[in-house]
Amino acid sequence: MTGPEFFLALQARIAVHADALNRLDAALGDGDHGATMLRGLTRAAQADRGAQAKAFMRASGGASGTLFGLILIEIERHLNENAALGEGLQRACERIKDLGQVTTGDKSMIDALAPAAHALAEGTVQDAVDAATAGRDRTRDLSARRGRAQYVENGGRGHVDPGAVSVVIILETLAGKESAL
Amino acid sequence: MKKLMNAAESIVDDMIDGYVSAFEQVARGHQDPRIVVRAKGRKDPDRKVTLLIGNGSGHEPIAMGFVGAGLLDANVVGDVFAAPSADLILDGIREVSGKAGCILLISQHSGDMINGRAAVMLAAEERLRVRALPMYDDISSAPRDRMQDRRGAAGTMFVYKILGAAAEAGMPLDDLMTLGRAVRARTVTLAAALSPGISPLTGQPMFDLPDDEIYLGMGVHGEPGIGRTGVGPVRDLVTLIVDKLLGDYPIASGGQAAVIVNGMGGTTLMELLTVWNETRNALAARGIAAVAPMIGSFVTTQEMGGFSISLLEPAGDMLRLWTAPSDTPFFPSIRHAEKEKSQ
Repeated sequence: MTGPEFFLALQARIAVHADALNRLDAALGDGDHGATMLRGLTRAAQADRGAQAKAFMRASGGASGTLFGLILIEIERHLNENAALGEGLQRACERIKDLGQVTTGDKSMIDALAPAAHALAEGTVQDAVDAATAGRDRTRDLSARRGRAQYVENGGRGHVDPGAVSVVIILETLAGKESAL
Repeated sequence: MKKLMNAAESIVDDMIDGYVSAFEQVARGHQDPRIVVRAKGRKDPDRKVTLLIGNGSGHEPIAMGFVGAGLLDANVVGDVFAAPSADLILDGIREVSGKAGCILLISQHSGDMINGRAAVMLAAEERLRVRALPMYDDISSAPRDRMQDRRGAAGTMFVYKILGAAAEAGMPLDDLMTLGRAVRARTVTLAAALSPGISPLTGQPMFDLPDDEIYLGMGVHGEPGIGRTGVGPVRDLVTLIVDKLLGDYPIASGGQAAVIVNGMGGTTLMELLTVWNETRNALAARGIAAVAPMIGSFVTTQEMGGFSISLLEPAGDMLRLWTAPSDTPFFPSIRHAEKEKSQ
């Protein structure tokens, strides 16, 4: 898979799930996560090879655009320049923790990304998908300590984190795999 | 609500078009039309440390109005009330940085911090010599023992101006960072909101406030602060604010404070000069000389009514740098008003 193929496939997948992501986000935040991701990916899919992750950052806007952009930068480098994916996702994970002041267990994208990056150190992309999926499902029982969701009743317990869902979709796309949300 | 605009989608670019065509001190950057750069007498970035900031628009003249000699080298302009994206800020850093280094100033708000610090991470990967300097001064947003959690407000202009003058004079990167942190540690701001601004995006007021109430400590986007107070003589309100500022940052009798009285967009100069006068009196009553005031509407939120008072207890060269000449379209000339007037 090349960078442009990946962004095209991811745009198509997020387009399918955008409404569901918005609904998940509405329970925890301002209800625009799917729309934000789709806006960024639509622009990214049209951008030049090598400039797609940054096009995503620009078009999606806001802090979440930056944080997801940091993941997409690493994937783009991996696909276009053969950079090591595990190291890249680990770097993105550390940066997102630092910038967003979140850690594992805070009910955020990190709960899916951190185990995925860890799994990639010794495993395959599919192992990373499995680890991220398990992490995503654990966010259902967590209560949020950062972001808007911390002000929601019970910190949003009972709802999976939409950012963690998006991480799984990104990794599934990378693995060339389709699965139910 | 009436607004002079063509469309919400074009308002930022229309404004920048007007701005760069009007003033010789500024131009559009090469990397992106949302970057405003210093055009006149640019110094070699391998010798002079460059300063830039990214911020949401809608608060003019800050920050693009302060691009020019002795102040900012560039401003990255975001959408209305929205931080510019990390990659756009990165373009701004690429535009101005050289071997002498570059400081990205960040007025502390969550989106600006995340995008600004991400831009610095990406710039470091490109081996650009760049540092981030978060700025915060609003005492209502966090107590003094959590100063690093405070929001950036009008007092950040002390950092802009003092670092701008010092960089122009050739101060190296590390010394500028130290100076910037020192100015930040000695600056406090508190705001009073009278009436909301109208968002150009929604056409709606950004918060609600009854006609007979003033909100102390409200952030520039309507973020919550200390609480409400009634409307009375402005002397009482200013004295309350000065006491809260000095309660947070005590200045000894016999000391001095540089002052910014900032209007939020919908408050008249007549009112702001009155606020300054009462600030000066309140400080004098506590044995503190108010010096080198900056008075006017500089950090605005559309037609929001209200003002803030910022105090800096100057040390070392700070006062000289604060009053040093600069040449930008909207930063005023500040005089050292220490002359004891007989009155």
